[in-house]
Amino acid sequence: MTLRVLDPRLDAEGEAVTMAPSLTSLHGTVVGLLDNAKIGTETYLDHIEVILKSRFGVREVIRRRKPDASRPVPPEMLGELSGADAILSAVGD
Amino acid sequence: MSNDRPLASRSYDVADADAANELFQKNGWTDGLPIVPPTEASVRAFLDAASLAPADVVGVEPVRRRHITAEKVAIAAVMAGGRPDYMPVVVAIVQAMCEPPFGLHGSTASTGGSAPFIVVNGPVATLIGMNATHNVLANGNRANATIGRATRLLIVNALGGIPGQLDRSTLGHPGKFTFCIAEDEEDSPWAPLASERGVALGASAVTVMAAESPHQVMNDWTRDPRDLLTTYVAGIRANMLTYSIWAGNYALIVPKQHRNVLVKAGWSKKDIREYVFEGARVTRREWRTVGKAAVASRKDEDQVYTALRSPDDLLVVAAGGPAGGFGMIVPPWYGSKALAVTKTIGGPR
Repeated sequence: MTLRVLDPRLDAEGEAVTMAPSLTSLHGTVVGLLDNAKIGTETYLDHIEVILKSRFGVREVIRRRKPDASRPVPPEMLGELSGADAILSAVGD
Repeated sequence: MSNDRPLASRSYDVADADAANELFQKNGWTDGLPIVPPTEASVRAFLDAASLAPADVVGVEPVRRRHITAEKVAIAAVMAGGRPDYMPVVVAIVQAMCEPPFGLHGSTASTGGSAPFIVVNGPVATLIGMNATHNVLANGNRANATIGRATRLLIVNALGGIPGQLDRSTLGHPGKFTFCIAEDEEDSPWAPLASERGVALGASAVTVMAAESPHQVMNDWTRDPRDLLTTYVAGIRANMLTYSIWAGNYALIVPKQHRNVLVKAGWSKKDIREYVFEGARVTRREWRTVGKAAVASRKDEDQVYTALRSPDDLLVVAAGGPAGGFGMIVPPWYGSKALAVTKTIGGPR
């Protein structure tokens, strides 16, 4: 005699999210830097910004700071970042 | 009720309950303890007890938008070892946790490692035989143990709160296995927690908050309500300094012996909240006394921080055995980023 048991997991819903295609070069691009609002993130991203501009020729960065580390980015902030060619979301705990 | 609707879950054929347990252990679908195998018959019995169809959405986790179905809640409740009549309580807990102020995603994922602390009020606690007295926060009662455990199993399996994956807890605490009590309404003259938070007297409800490990205090030696509460306040202040300074919900579990002191002096829960609100505060400078000088100086060190945003942030719960001057402080995960939520059992979804 067998026992038929049920899978306890909940499947993810909706369309699968895929990564945007990689940029071939950062030269002349606009990069969004999203700060997750933790204490060390700002300093960390300051360094990243310098490196992106001086070493990789990034033209412009868009810096935004989430209002709360444990909640999603507000839609209007996502909109502000949408003009970037690439976005870095950083956790500087 | 649920018997004419198909179940959505994949199924697996195994030899027996032992083999089912091995399957679940191997796949990481448990908290590490053995489970009761969730079968179609048992899951349907739990759904029926809450008048739910399998596909009914009990709640939506607000950040990752996971729609938590009644079927998955029932599976977790069966696995935990509960009874069908516990199911409406588990459903209300899930509804509470899916309210945005609860902060389910953040508190589940955080390195801070919290657990949902659950207080059950109203007639349901007696009907399903919950414990509100001896050893209330620990082992010995099926309902207390398995309702809290069902909550954890659901977080693991339905929300992916798997240690090292979405659950990034550095340490966690034992309440992550189960952390569920009833309030001792029979032996307390005070208003029950749920009714203080807006639930009609006589209705059953759950109150849930993302909590850190409880901290026990002791004062056997006073009949003065202020002295007694000063001990609790000291525990809260210690938590503010050594753990997190941010204001949010704290719960106090007040046992019979301490209630006797407070009630004899004519103190209500409201009086307790106001006294604790006034006392439970620290200045930023005090961080220096606990090795946190490096952070104290970042802002004005004369700044005063309160443990509670207002007296109403304090949840006062009557529970515990009849003897012993021990009380418990249940601290919040992370200030007001996660707040206590109260839900009526059997209320609207």
